[in-house]
Amino acid sequence: MPVFQCEDLTYFYSEREKPALKSINLHVEEGDFLLITGGSGSGKSSLARALAGLIPYFYGGRLRGRVYFDGRDVSQIDRRLMAREVGMVFQDPEKQLVMTSVEAEVAFGLENLGLPREEMVRRVAEALSFLDLAGLREEFTAHLSGGQKQKLALAAVLAMQPRVLILDEPTSQLDPVASEEFLNLVKRLNEEMGLTIILIEQRLERCFHLADRVVFMEDGQIRYDGTPGQLASWAAARDIPFIPPVASFFARNNFATIPVTVKEGRRLLRQNFRYCKTPPVRPVEKKDTGKPVLVMDNVWFAYPGGREALQDINLRIFPGELAAVLGNNGAGKSTLLKTMAGLLKPTRGRLMLDGRDLNSEKRFVPGRVAYLSQNPNDYLFQETVEEELHFTLKNFGLTDDGVVNEYLEKLELIACRKANPRDLSSGERQRAALASILVTRPRVLVLDEPTRGMDGRLKDELGKILSGLCREGASVVLVTHDVEFAAVHATRVLMMFAGRLVADGPKKEVLGSSYFYTTQIGKMCRGFADGVLTLADALASLELLWPNRKQKGEARFIT
Amino acid sequence: MYENFFYQDKGLFLQSLHPAAILAYLCILLVLALLFSNPVYLVGLLLVLVLNISAAQGGEVWGIYLKIGLGFALPIIIINALLARGGETIIWAGPNIPVLGRLTISLEAICYSAAMSVRLFIVISIFCLYNLVVHPDRVLALLSRFASKTALILSLATRLFPSMVRQMANIQEAMMIRGVDFQTGNLKQKLKSHAVLINILLLSSLEDSLEIAEAMHARAFGSGPRSSYQRHVWRPRDSFCLGGAILAFGLAVCAQITGYSTFEFYPRLGCLLKNTMAVFNLVFIVVFLSVPAVLSWGWRRCPYFNAKI
Amino acid sequence: MCFWKKAVFPFLVVCIVALLLVISRINPQLFGQGWGLIALVIIVAAIILFYWRFEQRKASSREVAVVAVLGTIAAAGRIPFAVFPSIQPVTFIVIVSGYIFGPQAGFMAGSTAALVSNFFLGQGPWTPWQMLAWGLAGASAGLMGKYFPTAGKTCMTLFCVVWGYLFGWILNLWTWAGFINPLNWQSFVATCAASFWFDTFHAAGNAVFYLFFGPSFIKILRRYHRKLKVVFLPDANCAHFPHG
Repeated sequence: MPVFQCEDLTYFYSEREKPALKSINLHVEEGDFLLITGGSGSGKSSLARALAGLIPYFYGGRLRGRVYFDGRDVSQIDRRLMAREVGMVFQDPEKQLVMTSVEAEVAFGLENLGLPREEMVRRVAEALSFLDLAGLREEFTAHLSGGQKQKLALAAVLAMQPRVLILDEPTSQLDPVASEEFLNLVKRLNEEMGLTIILIEQRLERCFHLADRVVFMEDGQIRYDGTPGQLASWAAARDIPFIPPVASFFARNNFATIPVTVKEGRRLLRQNFRYCKTPPVRPVEKKDTGKPVLVMDNVWFAYPGGREALQDINLRIFPGELAAVLGNNGAGKSTLLKTMAGLLKPTRGRLMLDGRDLNSEKRFVPGRVAYLSQNPNDYLFQETVEEELHFTLKNFGLTDDGVVNEYLEKLELIACRKANPRDLSSGERQRAALASILVTRPRVLVLDEPTRGMDGRLKDELGKILSGLCREGASVVLVTHDVEFAAVHATRVLMMFAGRLVADGPKKEVLGSSYFYTTQIGKMCRGFADGVLTLADALASLELLWPNRKQKGEARFIT
Repeated sequence: MYENFFYQDKGLFLQSLHPAAILAYLCILLVLALLFSNPVYLVGLLLVLVLNISAAQGGEVWGIYLKIGLGFALPIIIINALLARGGETIIWAGPNIPVLGRLTISLEAICYSAAMSVRLFIVISIFCLYNLVVHPDRVLALLSRFASKTALILSLATRLFPSMVRQMANIQEAMMIRGVDFQTGNLKQKLKSHAVLINILLLSSLEDSLEIAEAMHARAFGSGPRSSYQRHVWRPRDSFCLGGAILAFGLAVCAQITGYSTFEFYPRLGCLLKNTMAVFNLVFIVVFLSVPAVLSWGWRRCPYFNAKI
Repeated sequence: MCFWKKAVFPFLVVCIVALLLVISRINPQLFGQGWGLIALVIIVAAIILFYWRFEQRKASSREVAVVAVLGTIAAAGRIPFAVFPSIQPVTFIVIVSGYIFGPQAGFMAGSTAALVSNFFLGQGPWTPWQMLAWGLAGASAGLMGKYFPTAGKTCMTLFCVVWGYLFGWILNLWTWAGFINPLNWQSFVATCAASFWFDTFHAAGNAVFYLFFGPSFIKILRRYHRKLKVVFLPDANCAHFPHG
C-alpha cells in the first residue's frame, strides 16, 4: 500500500481563480526518496502542503479529489496523528522557529502532541544527539547560523518521530556548505532509518543524485514522473532548464544512461575521450579598458567591536563589467558591497568613485552607487510599483523624464506597474526593488546574493537584465554563492577569504583554475577540457572535439 | 547592539539557580523593600543587594541602574520634601502655590525623602540583580507551565526581536540608498522617515507571521491539550536560597507586626531601633537573605562544596 | 457549572486583592507607609487576569503568530526612535493593532512589547507598569474598534494623544504610590507636572504617527485580520471538511 496517494487532486486557494493544483495523480511508496521539482509557481509547494494536510486545513480554499495517507482519506484523519506521522520542514529557517532556546524548540512539537514528560525528555535527547546539536542545547535560537537553524527545524520535526518527511526547499536560504550538510543528513535519514522523504527543490545540482524518483511540475500539473536519468533525457529534449548541468550535458548528447554526479560523468568521459592537454576552447577575454569607475586603494574596514571585516582591499571596477564576488560566509563579501555603496565608511584607505574621493565626505550621499540587499522586501512599501520609482525620484528631487517608463520596460515590469508590489511574485518583487534604485541612473550597481531562492529560469532572466545594464555602460558587482550563475553571466570573478581579496581576474581564469569554486561542468571537464565552465562551453567543445557526429547519425558513445 | 539579551551568561552560581527559586527570592526582596519603612532595615536590605550584586559580578551594570535611579529619586525627594505637611520641625516656610498649597520643608520630610530614596535604590537594585542573574529563557520556561499560550507569544516575540532589529537596520540602509535622509530635517520630517521603517517592517513581518503560523500548525499546535516540557532541575542550592528567603519573610512579618521595621516620620521622628530584639531581627533577616551570596562565595572557592550543592 | 469553574480563578485573585485592601485599612502600619506594595499587587493581579482571559480562549496558530509579530514590531520600534526624547511608536502601533484585532490581542501585543523589549534593554521596576499601560492602550483601542468602528481620523488621533498622557500618568503611579507621602491629588499633580514635557512629547509623537501613518497601517492590518479566518469554499465534488 502506498504511503500517499492522490486521486485527481485539484485545489484553489481562497480568493484565487486559477487552480494551484490541477488533477494531480500521484502515489508515494514507503521508503521512497521522491524529488518534486519545477519552477516558481509550478504548484510544487502546494502539492507538498496538500500531502501534509496543511491544504486545506490551514489555507482553506476549495479542494476537489482525494489524498490518502496509508489508505485513509486525509480529511478523516485526526490532526494530531497526521502531525505526528508526517513531518514538514519549510523553506526559511527564520520563519519556523518559535522558542527561545534550542532544547525548548525541539520540545515544542512534543508539547503540542501532549506527550508525557519522560517521553519528551527522551525524544529531545535523541533528536539533539542524532543531529549533533547537543552542544547548542541552551543557545538562543536567534543567534544560530542559518544552517544550524535549519538543522534545528529538522530536529524538531524528527523528535515527533514521523514516518514521512516533507521538505519544502529546505536549502534555498542556506549557503552551499550548509546545504550540502543538510541534504546529506536527509539522505542518511532515508537510508539508515527508512524514512520516506519528499523533497521539494528547484535547484537540483546537490540533490538530483539523492532521489529515487523525480516528479516535474508545471502549471499545477505533473508533467513527468520517473527516475532522475529518465527525467534528464525528457527535459533535455524539451529545453527545460531544471536539470543539473552534468545530466543535461549527457542527455543532450543522447547517452543511453544519464549520469547524475560528477564522478559518473567523469567515468563516462574517460571511456569516450582521451585526456587532452590543451583546452579546445581558448578563453578570449578582452583587456580592461578605459578609466575605472570605482577605485579602492588599501581599503580597511573594522566594525566597532574591532573585527576587521575588510583587510587591505585593492580593487578597480571598470565600466561595463559584471563582477561576481565569491567566498565563504563571513569572508567580508557583504561588507565589501556596503563599503562600495558608501553605507559603511572605510576605516583606512581610499575609496574613489568617478574620480571623487568618498572618504572626504562627512555624510552618506545617496544616488551614486545603487545597492540591492538580500531581501527586496526591504525596499517595497508603496501602493503600486510605479509609485516606488516615483518615491525615489522625489527623494532625489528629480522629475520623471521618461526614466520611469524606461526602467519599467527594461526590467519587464510594464505589465504590473499598477500592481501592489507586495502582491507580486518573488522575481517581480526583486525587479521592482531593482527598478526603484536604478531610476537615478547610478554608475555602479551592487547586489547582495540576488539569486538566492530563485529557480533556473528567473536566474537566467536576472542575468540577462544585469548583462543588459552592463552593455549600456553600468558596472555591476554582485555577491553570490552560486558559482553556476557567476560562470554564465559574470565577466570577472573575485574571491574573498577572511576579509582579503584572494583572487581576482576574468572568470575563466579564476573559476577554471579553482579546485572547489568551480561549476559542476568545470569539475567534470577538468583534465579533459580545462577552462570549460558552462553547459554551453561544454557542448561547444564537444562540437570541436567531435565534429560532424550528428551527421554520422547514431550516438556512438560507450555508456 | 540590541541583538543580545541585557542578561549575560557568565556561568555564575546565582545564574544556575532554578528560575522558581530565584524569582521567589527576588519577589520576597521586593516585598520587603516595599514593606519596611525603618531606615536601618532598608539599609540592611541594601547591604544584602550589594553582596548579591558583587556575587553576580555586576558592578558595571549596577552603576547604570544607579544613574537611572538618580533620575527617579530627584523628583521624589523634591516632592516629598515640599508637599509633606505632617512634620513639626519646620526648617523653611515657602510661598503659597495655587494648586499645591503652601510649600514647607520640615526636618521630618527631609528624613522621609532620604529613606524613600534608599527604598527606591533598593527596588532599582533588585531589578538590576534580576537582569544579572535570571535568563529570560528560564522565566519563559517557568511561565509556560502556567500559561502556555502567553509564554509562547512571549518566546516567539523574544526570538523575533533580534532579527527584526537587524531587519530594521537593513531597511534603513535600503531607504538611504533610495535617498531618504534620516539625519537632517526637522523633528516632523525625521519622525516621518523613521516611521517608514516601521511601515515596511509591518508589511514584511505580517507576511512572515502567516508562515510562522503554518510551521506551528504543521507541528500540531492547537491540536488538543498541551503538555509542558521542563528542563531545569531543582538542586539543594535552590532549597537553601528559597528556605532562607521564606525564613526572612517570616521574620519580616513579625517585625512588621511588632513595629520593629517601621518608623514614625511624622509628626516627629521616632526611635530607629526600639530594642535589642529589633537589632537581632534585622541581623537574622540579613543573614537569611544573604544565603545566595554566601553560597556563591563558597561555590567559587571550594570544589567539594561545589559538588554537594 | 463550567462557568463557575472558570470563574474560580479570577474570583480568588479579586478576593486576595480585596483582603489586602481591608487589612491595609485596619492596620495601616502593616504594609508600611505608602501604597507601593498594594499598588504592585493590584497591577500584577490585573496583568495576570488579562493573561488568564487570553489563556481561556482557543487561539489559532495564526492569531498567536500575528499577535507575537505585532508585539515584536512595537518592541523593535523602540530601537530606531531611541534618538528622540520620549517619542516612541509603541503606543501608536499597539493602538492600531488593538483597534483592528480586538481588545485581547491589543493587550497581548502591548504587554508583550513592554516585556520583550526590556529583555534586551534591561528590566526595571517600570516593566510591569509599562506592560499594563501599553496593554490597556491596546485593550481600550480594541473596545474603540468594537463599539465605534466608524471612529474618524480626528477621533483616533485624539485617542492617541490621550494615551500619550495616560501612559505617562500610569507610569508615574509607581513612584507616586511607592515613594511619596502624602498620597493626595496635590502630590500626584506634582509628580505628573515633573513628567509633563515627556508626556507631551509622547502625545505629540503619537498624533504625528497617527495623522501620517494611521490610515495606511490600519489598511494593512485589516488585510491581515481578514486572513486570520480560514475560509473553506464549498465544491460540488468536495470532500467534507470540519469547519474551523
